[in-house]
Amino acid sequence: MSENGSYFYHALRVDRNVCTGCTHCLRSCPTEAIRIRKGKAVIYSNKCIDCGECFKVCPSHAIYIKQDDFELLDDYKYRIALVPATFIGQFANDVKTSQIYACLKKIGFTHTYEVEHAVSFLIELYKQYMAEHDEIDTFISPYCPAIVRLIQVRFPSLVHNIIHLNAPLDIASIVIRQRLVEAGIPGEDIGIFYVSPCAAKIAAVKSPAEGKKSIITGVINMDFLYNKVKLMLSNSKSIVEPINHSLTGNDVLWGLTTGESRNFNNSCFAVDGIRNAIEFLEKVEDEEISANGLVEMRACDQSCVGGVLCPTNRFVAKQKLKARAEIIDSKPKKEDSDHKVAFNNKEFAEKIAEMVKIDEIKPRSILKLNDNLQIALRMVENMKRIEGMLPGIDCSACGAPTCNALAEDVIRNESKIENCIFAHKKMEEFYKVMFDIWGEDLKTL
Amino acid sequence: MHYTFDIEKGNFTNAGNASGSVKKTLKQLNVDPSSIKRIVVALYEAEINAVAHAYGGKIDIDIDGDKIVMVVADQGPGIPNIELAMTEGYSTASQKVREMGFGAGMGLPNMKKNTDKLDIQTELGVGTTITMTVFLKN
Ligand SMILES: Nc1ncnc2c1ncn2[C@@H]1O[C@H](COP(=O)(O)OP(=O)(O)OP(=O)(O)O)[C@@H](O)[C@H]1O
Ligand code: SF4
Ligand SMILES: [Mg+2]
Repeated sequence: MSENGSYFYHALRVDRNVCTGCTHCLRSCPTEAIRIRKGKAVIYSNKCIDCGECFKVCPSHAIYIKQDDFELLDDYKYRIALVPATFIGQFANDVKTSQIYACLKKIGFTHTYEVEHAVSFLIELYKQYMAEHDEIDTFISPYCPAIVRLIQVRFPSLVHNIIHLNAPLDIASIVIRQRLVEAGIPGEDIGIFYVSPCAAKIAAVKSPAEGKKSIITGVINMDFLYNKVKLMLSNSKSIVEPINHSLTGNDVLWGLTTGESRNFNNSCFAVDGIRNAIEFLEKVEDEEISANGLVEMRACDQSCVGGVLCPTNRFVAKQKLKARAEIIDSKPKKEDSDHKVAFNNKEFAEKIAEMVKIDEIKPRSILKLNDNLQIALRMVENMKRIEGMLPGIDCSACGAPTCNALAEDVIRNESKIENCIFAHKKMEEFYKVMFDIWGEDLKTL
Repeated sequence: MHYTFDIEKGNFTNAGNASGSVKKTLKQLNVDPSSIKRIVVALYEAEINAVAHAYGGKIDIDIDGDKIVMVVADQGPGIPNIELAMTEGYSTASQKVREMGFGAGMGLPNMKKNTDKLDIQTELGVGTTITMTVFLKN
């Protein structure tokens, strides 16, 4: 558990000085994790999956994403920027990757490493995992941490369908750290900083689903770094950093929708957008849909280019990445980078394959009302009764996203039925009748 | 706890609404996931049959402390030979129904497999009432 007693660390925060209590976020939240209390939005820690939908809709920009202090870099001798291709996609295509990396170096990193270096190795690991688990037919990718958490809290019966291997990001950082350590660099000198497109990845780095400690040192928000690089580019376009990177077109496309599924058989699915994911998972749960293979699933529309911290329009960024991938594939294949070559060493590859296994992803149902069936049944009955007193128009004036959610809050003792202005009015009329019959003395009873 | 749902004649897209809301309640009751799955699959098959082979009908669901009882009653042609209908792969589904991906003749066998008790009352030209019971654990 994290410092505030909840299971998850959350990167999404509400700035109480700015929040106007307008209820936009309440309605956008796919897990109904937000309430208005005392005129301000409050996020229920155990329900929030850090998908960032609230961030996207907040008209006052009161929801922010906490990043690590940039000064943290100073504590390490080797400062590695772990960059997803999504970052490169934020820039115009006439900006060379080598120019972007040169800027990162000037900003303070000693090395730049691409998350997608591990992709081809990972595909093999996924295939092997699926072959070893023939009792499962629908495998859900662990790629997007918002999806992993969504499954934990809303679809607990599907946790065992998630491929129990670390996400590409963790794999990349395991590999780079392992290589530096093997090269004789002391572990405490290495700081790995991930450039994140979203809150979900930050939260996952801070408290990985399986409860282990992440080996990523810190997280830098993508928009923050984008601004720094962009400024530097406009001043010194000429600087370049020679790179021997050798991402393939396929690697570059990995973070876009179908980036994963295109590497597997035809019965695989690619689902993007949190609402689409929920709809799909309901059907997987009911066995109406089953994949004979991988279900790639990302919380954001268009996948990571749609992440809340990406400054460039997602359709533009997608098109740019596709263009970059095409250019790479049209050129004669470069020599594999030493990162990729490292996997050719059987001993090294086996070691990494062992390190990326996850023991257990725990179900954490937010739906269950009580462990005891009898008590839970009584609560559901009461909830139905309370719902009957509510108008069913989901106005959110009570501070809950829907009438249904208020009814649930009431039976969980987290709200009062009087918070509904309509129910309140009904109760007042009821009291008035009672007072007329029994006198005002009733009030003191 | 009691729920009722109407089943509309010929409306395949809405079939599944009943199983969807029952599923939410069962999750709130913390019923174990494998029982939830069995219940939802059985109910869905019964709903689809009332849409595909009859002219709609009504679902009544009762949940108490140890079991869920689901009664799916339709107005329809009835089932002439229950034993035959229960055979895996037996189906009289029309071409139209088959084009929608139904008609493998697995519905009734699936209901049997996924419930603890299955009772079928049917009268030709009047309708069919399927009663399914699943005992709950959490
Ligand atoms: N409610 C019903 N009214 C009338 N006939 C029915 C009813 N339910 C089932 N039947 C008959 O029993 C047969 C077998 O039903 P079953 O559900 O096992 O298969 P199916 O519906 O044909 O195909 P599937 O369920 O695999 O899509 C049906 O084809 C139909 O002739
Ligand atoms: S799709 Fe990508 S950007 Fe969006 S939440 Fe998931 S990991 Fe983050
Ligand atoms: Mg059927």
